[in-house]
Amino acid sequence: MQRLAIMGKFRIRVSSVWPVWRMAAAILLLPVTAFAAPAAEKIAKIAVFPTAPYYIFIVYESLAVFWVAILGLLVIIRMKLREIERVQEMGADREDPDAPLLQ
Amino acid sequence: MKLKYSLITRRTFLNTLFGGWLVAFFSGTFFALMKFAFPTLGKEPDFVVLDRKDFTDLVNNSIKRFAWGGTVGFYFKKADGTILALKGVCSHMECNVDYKPAEKRFYCSCHQGWFDENGKNIKGPPPKPLEIFVITEEGEKLIIAKKGVKVELPKA
Amino acid sequence: MNCPRLKAWLEERYDWEGMKRLAKGKLIPEHRYDLWYYTGGITLFLFILQFLTGMLMAFYYVPHIDFAHKSIIEIVTKLNMGWFFRSLHHWGSQLAIVFLFIHLFGTLLLKSYRKPREFVWLTGFILLGISIFFGLSGYLLLWDERAFAAVRVATGGAGAFPFIGGFIKAFLRGSMDVTGDTLLRFYAFHVAILPILTLGLIGLHILLVQLHGMSVPLSLQAEKRREIPFFPNAFYRDLAIWLVVTGVLVTLAVFLPPEIGVKADPLAPPPENVKPEWYFLFLMQTLKLFPGSILGMNGETIAILLVSGAILFFFLIPFFDQKSARGEKSPLFTWIGVIYLLYFLTMTAVGFLS
Repeated sequence: MQRLAIMGKFRIRVSSVWPVWRMAAAILLLPVTAFAAPAAEKIAKIAVFPTAPYYIFIVYESLAVFWVAILGLLVIIRMKLREIERVQEMGADREDPDAPLLQ
Repeated sequence: MKLKYSLITRRTFLNTLFGGWLVAFFSGTFFALMKFAFPTLGKEPDFVVLDRKDFTDLVNNSIKRFAWGGTVGFYFKKADGTILALKGVCSHMECNVDYKPAEKRFYCSCHQGWFDENGKNIKGPPPKPLEIFVITEEGEKLIIAKKGVKVELPKA
Repeated sequence: MNCPRLKAWLEERYDWEGMKRLAKGKLIPEHRYDLWYYTGGITLFLFILQFLTGMLMAFYYVPHIDFAHKSIIEIVTKLNMGWFFRSLHHWGSQLAIVFLFIHLFGTLLLKSYRKPREFVWLTGFILLGISIFFGLSGYLLLWDERAFAAVRVATGGAGAFPFIGGFIKAFLRGSMDVTGDTLLRFYAFHVAILPILTLGLIGLHILLVQLHGMSVPLSLQAEKRREIPFFPNAFYRDLAIWLVVTGVLVTLAVFLPPEIGVKADPLAPPPENVKPEWYFLFLMQTLKLFPGSILGMNGETIAILLVSGAILFFFLIPFFDQKSARGEKSPLFTWIGVIYLLYFLTMTAVGFLS
């Protein structure tokens, strides 16, 4: 987990989510396993992916939207985590057990 | 115009953003799932094409069954010789009906429903008559169609 | 989310505050290796995805030799997005097993198996075996040339066990050779028997982890360290990582949909250079190392016995590694772990490339 240096009053902490990108990069090298299938001559090639051009377009467009959605969620989660950590550091996340109830 | 105080708290803003984005994300997933789980099922056909010669030597007061999509249709020659084509499926709970030549009526054994020679529901729980089809003859072929359907044969 | 009425409703019936306190008490230690804590969760997430996509596949797959291959082609060509969910299921299984191995070797090298967590290791190891069998059984359901040949080899290999080999082979195959009975049996395993066992064992595995808390590596035990609460901090990190894994999975599924080979013909010779799934390659290569007969005894039997011995040792490692059980550094077992890992990687690579 990387914690950037404390520079005076301005402190940045990067949550340990970001090393995840390294893991993701490692996973992206996995497609190599796809070519493990032996090159048996397939007499009739079965279409395992849509063939119509409009459908292919929709698939790739949906994939792009999907990634936008995921990246958006990741940004929002990071925002939430920063807020949570800020509040926790202030000590404001714990309830005061002696606080009187509003009548 | 600059506001002195924020209209919502940081927490509300973040949680709404998060929740809203999640809803959008999952509704997309859900949509894809529903498309898969509800495939375009076999629809009922608008018409079927039969060979005329299969139905020429039919005895009076009897039926010959033919395939209507996934269910059964009746080619019905009445006692007086007139022809009627109807769907052999009861209008109550979709059980298959049977023709009783002795009583000249159709009988559904699931809940003891009766239909007369013209398919009209006369006794028992069935709420509506049996569906009647329109018969047209085109050369060697018999075309049995739903009422009101314009039959367009593919140019074979 | 602030719903005081809902909270009051729950509190009147259940000890909601007590449960919340219990959940808030779950703490995750922070240190140099704390990223490894997330590997188990990723594996769990991928397995849940497999359950879901598997249920979708089960809507349309037919486990009969005359219809199996065809039903898959129907799923892939005729159904809305069928190709996508099948591709998800395929890549989900690949990634699940990859992360399973990462989790396995991570806990091995970080010695999370040591006292008091022996049962976590044992249940996890049984889950490993079940997952491999999931992969094998799921793979046969394709009923294409390659699957057929691969399963014949795998069940035949199991038959090489001394004494009980014949029984194992007959049990797995359902008859003398790989037939429709085998397909049906593997379907029952894949869809009913293994899922129930997995659910039970995962439940136990996770429960034990909650009871014991997260293990801290021996070298870092003396240090003072921060502990972050699981809810909400680590929970959101888990979620973020799972989202990235989903993204990668979907991308793989879209760009590399798996092929379907020609339908299996029990009488035809197997296709050229047929290989099992990659997680079996290291076993296959190991068997290849042994000559046909050693000192007059069947080479394959000796190979199977040695491999089983190695796996058994691996299984019981928490009991062999007494030093780490006492809380002392155990470099011998670190080296043993490294050797296992290197052997697995090398043999898999060799099997891949040959």
